[in-house]
Amino acid sequence: MTPTGPKSISQVALKDMAAGTGVPAEYWRPITDKNLADWEVHWRPAIDKQLAVLNEAGVERYLWPQSREWDWRKKHNILNAAPGHESAAVVAAGVTQGMMIADLDFRARIAEQARQHMVYVEFLEVAPWNRKTLTGGMPKYAGIGTLLLGKAIELSIELGFKGRIGLHSLPQSNDFYANQCGMSDLGADEKYNKLRYFEMTPAMAESFLSRGEQRDR
Amino acid sequence: MTDRITPEWCLAMAHLELGHEVGAGLHAIDPVPDGDAEGSDESRLALGRFVSLARRGRGLSIEHLAELADVDVGELLSIERDAHHLPDTRTLYQLAGIFGVSQHKLMGLSGLTRPKDIKYVDEAIRYAALSESVARLSKEEQAALDGLIAVLSERKGK
Repeated sequence: MTPTGPKSISQVALKDMAAGTGVPAEYWRPITDKNLADWEVHWRPAIDKQLAVLNEAGVERYLWPQSREWDWRKKHNILNAAPGHESAAVVAAGVTQGMMIADLDFRARIAEQARQHMVYVEFLEVAPWNRKTLTGGMPKYAGIGTLLLGKAIELSIELGFKGRIGLHSLPQSNDFYANQCGMSDLGADEKYNKLRYFEMTPAMAESFLSRGEQRDR
Repeated sequence: MTDRITPEWCLAMAHLELGHEVGAGLHAIDPVPDGDAEGSDESRLALGRFVSLARRGRGLSIEHLAELADVDVGELLSIERDAHHLPDTRTLYQLAGIFGVSQHKLMGLSGLTRPKDIKYVDEAIRYAALSESVARLSKEEQAALDGLIAVLSERKGK
């Protein structure tokens, strides 16, 4: 059953792209019924609008947002019932801005940490109005994916996995994980629809967390 | 446990996402195509070369063109210099209007749409290959630009 309220809330922030300023936000653990309702009421209609524009412009289907048919309620209900999963959401201005589900029973693949426990980010998505899309337009808030990734690292540390995380990137995001986050690219995974698999070692995770702290000073 | 993801950390790191889409997870709809299906680097190079030549032919800086087209400077830089960059449909629409060429053909060159007639793509690549990057347009570059405009206009080569 989906919880009606979060078990824990921590204070975070997002960047309002139009104003160029920070806005307060909350990190909820786990995903709640309110987050799933936001997906149904706010995310889906916005995604449908974007798809209509892409369709009108004749953009190739494989370039449409790959998560367009994700059903977060279904995903959450299935994974919530399975042991070894954690979920989280980012809420700002009263609306869910991003969600993540992590698998805690996944083993690392990089040779130096092969078979060791890690946090595997099974699904990560930001609200459609916060994405750079092929239809142009400025994202409303920036920083959601970065903070969810940072929180996945913290969860990994909390569980004794030393910051090891991994994920299969959506095609549009390969550059972000490789070049912006400094994750190791282990190449296209034939077992996962050829999505590229990225992983972080404890050293990479520490470097990622430190970057935000250094810039902050 | 110390919470290192503070509001200050989030704001310091938010810039990493600018110009990027962030998502992860297995999707079960459209398989990721092999490299060739995503539009060739050559055709995107031709698109970038065309934008660069057409811009310089009008004596415009990237900033000025971005302002005229009401698009992001970074987007224009990426179109001109990064053959892997997928431009926005809106950007191509704006550029097609300014340079007087077909938006549909620019989208075909970019790989956003699959061109029905690939002849113009081959021709555009050929013209782009004739030009070289210098501060001012040489006669040869001007000829290459004229050729690209002819190939990418609606009237010719449909």
